[in-house]
Amino acid sequence: MPIAFKDVSHVYSAGTPYEYRALDHVDLEISEGKMTAIVGKTGSGKSTLVQHLNALLLPTEGTVYIMDRTISAKEKPKKLKSLRGAVGLVFQFPEYQLFEETVLRDTAFGPKNFGCTAEEAANRARQALTLTGIGPEFYERSPLELSGGQKRRVAIAGILAMDPKILVLDEPTAGLDPAGTASMMKLFSDLNKKMNKTILIVTHDMEQVYRYCDEVVVVENGRIREKETTAEFFRDARRCNEMGMLPPSLIRFIEMMREFGFNVPDGITSEEQLAEWIGREVKHG
Amino acid sequence: MEQIRTENLNFSYEEGIKTIDNVSFTIEKGMYVTIIGHNGSGKSTLAKLLAGLLEAESGKILINGKELNEENLPVLRNTIGIVFQNPDNQFIGSTVRDDIAFGLENHRIPQPEMDPIIEKFAEKVGMTKYLNSEPTHLSGGQKQRVAIAGVLAMKPEILIFDEATAMLDPQGKAEIKKVIRELHEERDLTIISITHDIDEVAESDFVLALNGGKIALMGTPHEVFADEKTITDIRLELPYSTRLGKLLAKHGVTVKNHMTMKGLVGELCQLHSKM
Amino acid sequence: MGNIALGRYLPLDSPIHKMDPRAKIMAMLIMLIAIFFPSGWIGYGIMFAVAAMMILLAKLEVGFIWRAMRPMLFMLVFLLIINILVVKTGPVLAAIGSFEIHLDAVTQTLYIAVRLLLMIMFTTCLTATTKPLDMTLGIEDLLKPFEKIHVPAHEIAMLISIALRFIPDLIDETQRIIKAQESRGVDMQEGKLKEKIQAILSLIVPLFVSAFQRAEDLANAMEARGYMPGEPRTRYKVLKMAGRDYILLAGALITGTAMAVLAWVI
Repeated sequence: MPIAFKDVSHVYSAGTPYEYRALDHVDLEISEGKMTAIVGKTGSGKSTLVQHLNALLLPTEGTVYIMDRTISAKEKPKKLKSLRGAVGLVFQFPEYQLFEETVLRDTAFGPKNFGCTAEEAANRARQALTLTGIGPEFYERSPLELSGGQKRRVAIAGILAMDPKILVLDEPTAGLDPAGTASMMKLFSDLNKKMNKTILIVTHDMEQVYRYCDEVVVVENGRIREKETTAEFFRDARRCNEMGMLPPSLIRFIEMMREFGFNVPDGITSEEQLAEWIGREVKHG
Repeated sequence: MEQIRTENLNFSYEEGIKTIDNVSFTIEKGMYVTIIGHNGSGKSTLAKLLAGLLEAESGKILINGKELNEENLPVLRNTIGIVFQNPDNQFIGSTVRDDIAFGLENHRIPQPEMDPIIEKFAEKVGMTKYLNSEPTHLSGGQKQRVAIAGVLAMKPEILIFDEATAMLDPQGKAEIKKVIRELHEERDLTIISITHDIDEVAESDFVLALNGGKIALMGTPHEVFADEKTITDIRLELPYSTRLGKLLAKHGVTVKNHMTMKGLVGELCQLHSKM
Repeated sequence: MGNIALGRYLPLDSPIHKMDPRAKIMAMLIMLIAIFFPSGWIGYGIMFAVAAMMILLAKLEVGFIWRAMRPMLFMLVFLLIINILVVKTGPVLAAIGSFEIHLDAVTQTLYIAVRLLLMIMFTTCLTATTKPLDMTLGIEDLLKPFEKIHVPAHEIAMLISIALRFIPDLIDETQRIIKAQESRGVDMQEGKLKEKIQAILSLIVPLFVSAFQRAEDLANAMEARGYMPGEPRTRYKVLKMAGRDYILLAGALITGTAMAVLAWVI
């Protein structure tokens, strides 16, 4: 069990007129080795939740268990740094954290902070950059002169170079075009499947959740509304609609067919299956 | 009636790299045009050229038959409004009211006439309740609606949306798409929307697909997405119904190329009932 | 952010909140000048009474003034120590061996403390009751006469209001970048000098990059909506002086004159 929340609350500006309870008695377990989506409306508490994972925020009540660490509201935690190396947190629009003179140095910044030698850090940086599809021709260029999509890849490489066991991504595809989104999601899926990293993604993009994630956690008003498998979550469009999210195209299409009187069976999870079913249905009535 | 015409438009940020490369097209009054292309294809640069925020290196932009140049810019600028991507960076006033007033002040509208105009356009985008709100208390979608009201208050003939929904959550995206749709239904405005949203593209009258600063394809959504090879080559997506239609063909169901799910489901219904 | 009291606007409903910012700014300036008249304890007593009355009228809490004053305490303690070491006039209060503490050291510090307290009370009466934008409008109008000597009153006001508009955004941005870099192992508090420099760079560079991006976006948005620096514009917000504003000004003038007279008499 790498991550668990036990009765965790987080209150911002406690005791002031601005007091705000962002997390409200959260109990949650995240499965190891899975790719989990964290979904919910803007302001539901998703960002607050994920910032507990590398102890950027500490619970004001309750306990967070992350791998072998216990972070409790009662005691002041020590040596948070090692935790931050083990849980890589990629913020929204991570390209805004680039600052070094060259791509390679920026990517090596993380590992260096965690005590790697310059050489080791550069090696890790090269590996991470290769993973994110940034070739050696970019290593000596300034990260600031790259395109938006490349910058984002460099920024994500900067976290990967820390070799975290758990990777947490806050809307990693925001602002990317469809091709960029697809290759980014492919990268995370590979990291999960091939390198066995536990991945958490905060996102509004149900299409990607449906395609790549194993589990879905729904956050609502600072509470966990549900946690289920992706298949369960997307059984129909209802849950997406309730949260004001656009359901995946396949689900929308099936719902529309049902509205038009087609008796589409449950359990169709790909366009291929759907086309096959329609083929049979239309040809043979 | 012709509203915008560009003739061999060229623009570079860096010498030797053409961001806009010999672009020519015509847009009719009242049309809803979408501009598509992967990031870095020159879409936003084209929008800034059309809005007179950048000056073309060579070539011409004609708005209502008048050339967009330094001399005509002050007059033509009032014809074109633009809504940008980042909701925070275009909110200038300290409240919704002040932000809509900003453009009116620039147009030297007398003070007593401002309130009715502000209220009219706030209502149009559904922000009447928030007139005295500060930007920190508004959602991204609400800020974008204020930006639209601010631009509309200046009575433009052409309204450009430069990826105005890209930074919004699903709710915000839906809000802005609804406003755009309503504006289009009134047919008073020529709308140019730069977008990655394939559903929005399918709804538009005319599509410009850019790649490497050049026009790769243009025409109705139907025409543009019929050229599957080019669309794939320039790293764009096909509408869902088109993709599904192709899969259906493999399973012996031939359908027309539909832009919307509704269209495809409709045809499937007909096919089914014929059985 | 939540704990800063000095200079912060409090959205309350009070007669002072409703007053014209120009009147409030002028009145505050008069009071600030009055504070610097050496009007003695009687004078300060009167001024304190006036300030306390204004604070009551503005419905501000004593705690708020105290929070605004608190950052100054350290400075005052420091000043007291310096004064004790330097000022050697007046009766001796205490002596430790050959080291003597004189009364004047204490009174002089007290004088400064009282002046500081008064200044904070009066400025808080202005800043806590006036929306930043109204303040800008007030400053613009008050600077108007100086346009004849080429003071760009409108541009200054525009500059201030834009700065005010983006301060909360920039604070958010700063916090976000700090968190992002902390996630990369940066320790903003501890570390060797070299690490500290790196930590600061990792904050400053992204902040500048994003601030420039913001500035460019904003310039485009303003230009697209027809803003041309230096061109005449109309103004949406018009300020109007009412009866109570003249009363405030008159009150400030009377108090100010009284202080001047007191200072002269003493």
